[in-house]
Amino acid sequence: MIIRDCMKQKVITLPNTGTTLDAVRLCTQHHIGTLPVIDEKRQLLGLIRLQDLINLVMPDFVRLIDEIDFVRDFGAMEHHQPGADLLEQPARLFMSSPVSVEETTGLLCALALLHKHQVSDLPVVDAENRLLGIASQVDIGTALMSTWNVVSVLD
Amino acid sequence: MLPAILSTIIFILCLGIILAERMHRTIIAMVGAVLVTAIGVSLEFFSESQAAASVDFNTISLIFGMMILVALLEPTGFFQYLAIWMGRMSRGQPFRMLVLLGSVTTVISMFLPNLTTVVLIAPATILLCELLGIEPKPYLIAEALFANIGGVATLVGDPPNVLIASAAGFTFDDFLVHSLPIILVIWVITMFALRWIFRVELSRSVVDPDSIMKLKPGNVIKDRKTAVKVLVVLGCTIVLFLLEGVLHVRPGFIALAAASTGLAWVQPSLEDTFNRIHWDILIFFTGLFVMVGALEATGVLQALANLVIQANIQNPILLGLILIWVVAFLSAVVDNIPVTIALIPIIQSLAATGYPTELLWWGLVFGAGLGGNGTIIGSTANVVAVAFSEKTRFPITAQQWMKSGLPVTLLSCAAASVLYLLVFGLFG
Repeated sequence: MIIRDCMKQKVITLPNTGTTLDAVRLCTQHHIGTLPVIDEKRQLLGLIRLQDLINLVMPDFVRLIDEIDFVRDFGAMEHHQPGADLLEQPARLFMSSPVSVEETTGLLCALALLHKHQVSDLPVVDAENRLLGIASQVDIGTALMSTWNVVSVLD
Repeated sequence: MLPAILSTIIFILCLGIILAERMHRTIIAMVGAVLVTAIGVSLEFFSESQAAASVDFNTISLIFGMMILVALLEPTGFFQYLAIWMGRMSRGQPFRMLVLLGSVTTVISMFLPNLTTVVLIAPATILLCELLGIEPKPYLIAEALFANIGGVATLVGDPPNVLIASAAGFTFDDFLVHSLPIILVIWVITMFALRWIFRVELSRSVVDPDSIMKLKPGNVIKDRKTAVKVLVVLGCTIVLFLLEGVLHVRPGFIALAAASTGLAWVQPSLEDTFNRIHWDILIFFTGLFVMVGALEATGVLQALANLVIQANIQNPILLGLILIWVVAFLSAVVDNIPVTIALIPIIQSLAATGYPTELLWWGLVFGAGLGGNGTIIGSTANVVAVAFSEKTRFPITAQQWMKSGLPVTLLSCAAASVLYLLVFGLFG
């Protein structure tokens, strides 16, 4: 099995000119965690990840202190909202460089890339870097496990 | 004449590159030391053994020993515990939190390096401010300022003190008698100055004061056993420092003994502990010592001392006052360590001519310790506080530093001058 067999072909994308607010709206409306950013030729420019957007409100101390288990009430930060100035900025400022694969990539290789780059979704592109689809860790992982010959192994 | 010119050129060149921050200061000091020794050996004015002898091992051992104790204590979470505890005690009242965090920073920096103090306290400060919904800037700036001020109070508080004590033969007690009282007054003045400077920030209402009351300081400590062990060793070390004169041992040896005891008792992963040692600082010192050793060997420092004598400032109190302000100015723009290392032999040469130098040493202590507060790059503690602020939503700008650090420096140097006149002029 290759990644083409388990990817979603209908991909929600953000145009290069989209603002952060556009990205937030698309993610919340479609309940998705990764938003590919594409240009007018559908070429993949980067990814907006849920985490990149959440980081707009994540307290700074979370990055500065190793263990935060003793903080069980985030106080003022719990109700912190990103300012209008942040939301009006082009979303590409928060874009991470894409880790993408071609559609013939094997499932295990795709999973290894997800693991290595600590991402949850993998965009699939053609030879000209045009976006063809996207596959999540669950899509690829369950597709891979479905190929396991569980019965014969147990016997 | 040629050796003097060459060693001076190398020293000034190295200082220039350190100032320009084009290369790491440790690399510059190492290259400079090797260069001056190579030229010295080939022109026969500075031998290898002279170079080795110019390194002040009392200073290096003291700093190394204290670094090991910090490296043992740091991962236990003890310092974060202190900061969180202070936060709770403040009940989220901004000025009270400034006083408590400022106090704990001052006390820690009296015994640990100023830079380390800020590194240990700043993250917990940012946490407290974020929970409360206030800007961390005033607190971070205050912590750097108080770390530098606290460092002046004791022999082990800041490297220049170690250097000066080693050269002048001052004991730990000398600092407690001459420096600590003056620093206490300066501390109070600084606190009121900061209250005024940050009056707008400190009067803003706190969004959620209850959140920090829910923090449990006890849960912050990761390794209680080790924390207790190292604190016991640290306590004994301070007692030994106090008895330095009676025991006839130098602080460098006490620190090494404490570090050895700590290592033997805790038995940490040596790799982890040694990774926390700032080797760059130790090598930087060694390199500077060698370069200054060459200046001394070639008579450059003696010539400078002669210049001071020719200026004919008969009154050592006046010269001490001049020293406070000149050194403070220099320390605000350059690292106070090279300034101190360069000035020590000059004062020593003056002493050799029979000039009373005790007051000059104290002038050097106050100038080097307080001057660093003046600019954003004046001390490593400032640089680190700013670096932490840059990891938050509220980065500290050079201009903002000037608005708080510069007035505090001017005030504290003025206070130091007045108290210096009173203490040394009237009772000296």
